[in-house]
Amino acid sequence: MKPFDIVIVGGGGAGLYAAMEAMKTNPALNIAVLSKVYPNRSHTSAAQGGANAALANKAKDDTVEMHIFDTIKGSDYLADQDAVEVLCSEAPKIIRELENIGTPWSRLDDNTIAQRPFGGAGRPRCCYCADKTGHTILQTLYEQCLKKGVIFFNEYFALNLSVNGSRSKGLIAMNMKTGAVEAFPARTVIFATGGYAKMYWNRSSNAAGNTGDGQAIAYRAGIPLKDMEFVQFHPTGLRKSGLLVTEGARGEGGYLLNKDGERFMSRYAPEKMELGPRDLVSRSLETEILQGRGFDSPAGKYIHLDLTHLGADLIKSRLPQIREMAMNFEGVDPILEPIPVRPTAHYSMGGIDTDNYGRTVMEGVYAAGESACVSVHGANRLGGNSLLDILVFGRIAGHTAALEARKFEPAAISEDEVKDQLAELRSSMQPSGHYERYGELREELGQTMAANVGIYRESSLLKKGIAEVAELKERFKKVRVSDSSDVFNTNLLQVLELKNMLDLAETVAAGAFAREESRGSHTRTDFPTRDDEKWHKHTMATLIDGHVKLGEKPVTMGRYELQERTY
Amino acid sequence: MTVSTDQHKEGKRDVTFRVFRFNPQVDSKSYFDDYTIPVERGITVLRALNYIKEHVDASVSFRAFCQAGICGSCGMRVNGISMLACTTQVWDMLAKSKEEGVIKVEPLRNLPLIKDLIVDMDPLVDKMKHYSNWVDSTMPESEMGKKEFLVSEEEFLKYDKATDCILCASCVSECSILRANKEYVSPAVLLKSYRMNVDTRDSMHDLRLAELVKDHGVWDCTHCYRCQESCVKSIPIMDAIHGIREDALESRGMKDTSGAKHAEAFMSDIEKKGKLVEATLPFRTNGVLWTMQNLLPMAVKMILKRRTPPPPPMVKPSKGIKAFRSEFREMSEHVKQDHKSHKK
Ligand SMILES: Cc1cc2nc3c(=O)[nH]c(=O)nc-3n(C[C@H](O)[C@H](O)[C@H](O)COP(=O)(O)OP(=O)(O)OC[C@H]3O[C@@H](n4cnc5c(N)ncnc54)[C@H](O)[C@@H]3O)c2cc1C
Ligand code: SF4
Ligand code: SF4
Ligand code: FES
Repeated sequence: MKPFDIVIVGGGGAGLYAAMEAMKTNPALNIAVLSKVYPNRSHTSAAQGGANAALANKAKDDTVEMHIFDTIKGSDYLADQDAVEVLCSEAPKIIRELENIGTPWSRLDDNTIAQRPFGGAGRPRCCYCADKTGHTILQTLYEQCLKKGVIFFNEYFALNLSVNGSRSKGLIAMNMKTGAVEAFPARTVIFATGGYAKMYWNRSSNAAGNTGDGQAIAYRAGIPLKDMEFVQFHPTGLRKSGLLVTEGARGEGGYLLNKDGERFMSRYAPEKMELGPRDLVSRSLETEILQGRGFDSPAGKYIHLDLTHLGADLIKSRLPQIREMAMNFEGVDPILEPIPVRPTAHYSMGGIDTDNYGRTVMEGVYAAGESACVSVHGANRLGGNSLLDILVFGRIAGHTAALEARKFEPAAISEDEVKDQLAELRSSMQPSGHYERYGELREELGQTMAANVGIYRESSLLKKGIAEVAELKERFKKVRVSDSSDVFNTNLLQVLELKNMLDLAETVAAGAFAREESRGSHTRTDFPTRDDEKWHKHTMATLIDGHVKLGEKPVTMGRYELQERTY
Repeated sequence: MTVSTDQHKEGKRDVTFRVFRFNPQVDSKSYFDDYTIPVERGITVLRALNYIKEHVDASVSFRAFCQAGICGSCGMRVNGISMLACTTQVWDMLAKSKEEGVIKVEPLRNLPLIKDLIVDMDPLVDKMKHYSNWVDSTMPESEMGKKEFLVSEEEFLKYDKATDCILCASCVSECSILRANKEYVSPAVLLKSYRMNVDTRDSMHDLRLAELVKDHGVWDCTHCYRCQESCVKSIPIMDAIHGIREDALESRGMKDTSGAKHAEAFMSDIEKKGKLVEATLPFRTNGVLWTMQNLLPMAVKMILKRRTPPPPPMVKPSKGIKAFRSEFREMSEHVKQDHKSHKK
């Protein structure tokens, strides 16, 4: 295959924005987007709530400055302040740009883009389209990429980077429709493969494919992963499936009630109540449940999210998707009854370490979106800041790669390398003797992560988690792929995804064990307070001799001094 | 297999999934495999398929991603009808099974088969490209990001429902014209085209419309309503199709294409005489009632817009035309009301 200037791995919001921007920056470049699902299926489509930008359409006194402060405070001061500044000051521009190319935002009475309140924000600055914001943004970006003639390799599964010393030569991927392993020699590669929260499996709101493939590939190629221990639990996952009920439901006025019918958030965040930041609300739910004030059911303990007082009209017009999901997956109509919810692993703050331009330490390799860690979310992401992150930094990564691509020599990937990859895949498909079922390992991984590396963490639990992940990795060697076909071998693909999750689980658990403090989403019951002296820094996980090695990186400060985070 | 009453009481029973199988590498033709598994009440078809894949036969192939009815990956036919496996309850489908305790699962129709329950989506993407299913902004790129277009709630509501489409291709699979003509534009693409054409930020309305009225375009639709009935997001696809047609008539005129002429002749005939040239129209095969429900909305809208000439005074009505006419008028009123309430 002829070498590409840019290969973008991932067709979610980050990948598509990168593609669009790169085409705009230099239309002469040879750019491809490769994705394991059709781009419009990417997980960005699941984002219901909205994207933050200080447009000041709703609250006239909102400012970029306030958005910056809310984000830094929300991050529990672990975000890099220069990166947050980029994020928030680019926000109004990017939301308008999306509007200009056709995103159907909901509107206010004065016909400007509608905004609503969202957790952890001082002003109503979350821009939305009903409760399908991510879906409509993704549609718009996909349409625009089709318009611009971006080359798509749909249903291609990225396997590994091809590396020569400190330099990437491109990507090796599998064509899912044929099973062929193909080389994508490229001057630059951008990872935009989304998050890794699916390693919590049934206790996760994520799509089945949010298995952190890009992070795992980068990690195997020697690129460090940053702050992997920070996994955000969303307070309101549906009890049975982990699927998400958006914060929009609380933004519109929903209540959280325990079994005594009490709005218990008054105990934890008396001012913000249900609209406190996610980590705090999740912990509050978990505490209510642990202290016996939750409801009981065969599918586990839970809390009520009550929307009944909002009325049928508002629920139907503003929260139609939520209503549909509650009815489909819990058999509950929120107009009539409260929705059973409990915390669910939702978002991965950690990811591939990049600078403010999307560059990684490896020449020619960039990352953006949930797969990257710039870091703008620090220890805790604010609702509505992730869509913003993927758009802003997707665009920046696309722009940077487009400017820098021609600096690098065109690369070539040898046929032998491709053959080796194929051989490795084949061999992993035929272990002899005793074998393991991938479905079981995946289930067990989710369980051990939720139980030992979940909302409340503690030294002995973490040790147990680390040991169990190691054991699962050992057992993984005996997993058998029993589907022997080349065409759309989803059995093989799921096994490859499991391998990626296992590699990353090790980094999450290791980071969580090392970080002896509580900050943002990371709560150590044995170290209940934030320890700025020892831990005001990023953890960096690198793969050395097959094992995770932890390093560190300072946090970039700016205008805002460390403060206690209260709401 | 017989199902014990005990199982029924517990809300758990054995269910047989009759799954369409085809692996192009080894099979010369497709066949069905039966998998009988225990299923609890409240389980979706997708979860049942996942169970089969993990515990019984790992080679069963299908697409799934969000598992929440959002991404559109898992479109397939369950008991003959196209839907999303991840939002479909096994229990509901059992109630509609032809054979007690058996649920048939097949790939979508009208798209090329790849393997088992997986079909190729590329033809649909190609059509989206062909019909320019994107907003071509009136704003120059250099101006973008500086200010918003002001869009009224009223305009937003025109395309709000259409943007719910998740491209699951259920409607494509159910479309009666596509079965005969794979080049036909497709309901989802008509829907998207309509959505773009009513967006005031877009600059290529006329070009898109010109493409839509060509062969394999909007005039080929038979108004069978199957797409709308099967839409997994309950999108009123027919409103979009009517919308494009009205728009075509309004902005391009009646004499534009053979399709439009055909529609015109049909509309005037139906009101005047209550009978049709049977060979060319779906009237005979589908019956009066069907035609009333499915074709009249269009006719009525055209009449409301006074596109149809008033009937000449001396036509000899067919038998029963009086009754038919009054029904027609009544129907017109209903549609008019419907139309109004939709716009609210
Ligand atoms: C239920 C839910 C609701 C949310 N709501 C909000 C919200 O209201 N506001 C907000 O700001 N954020 C929200 N988020 C978070 C936000 O949606 C995500 O962080 C964001 O969409 C991630 O975008 P992305 O482009 O980085 O990745 P994704 O959209 O996940 O895209 C990843 C892409 O990478 C591709 N890919 C992955 N692995 C491979 C591989 N091996 N080979 C090839 N391609 C690969 C996939 O095919 C996909 O195209 C929500 C998240 C969830 C789970
Ligand atoms: S109404 Fe038209 S587009 Fe819809 S299924 Fe029938 S023929 Fe196809
Ligand atoms: S119109 Fe409805 S059925 Fe057709 S692709 Fe879109 S969501 Fe699916
Ligand atoms: S898996 Fe996404 S719609 Fe069914």
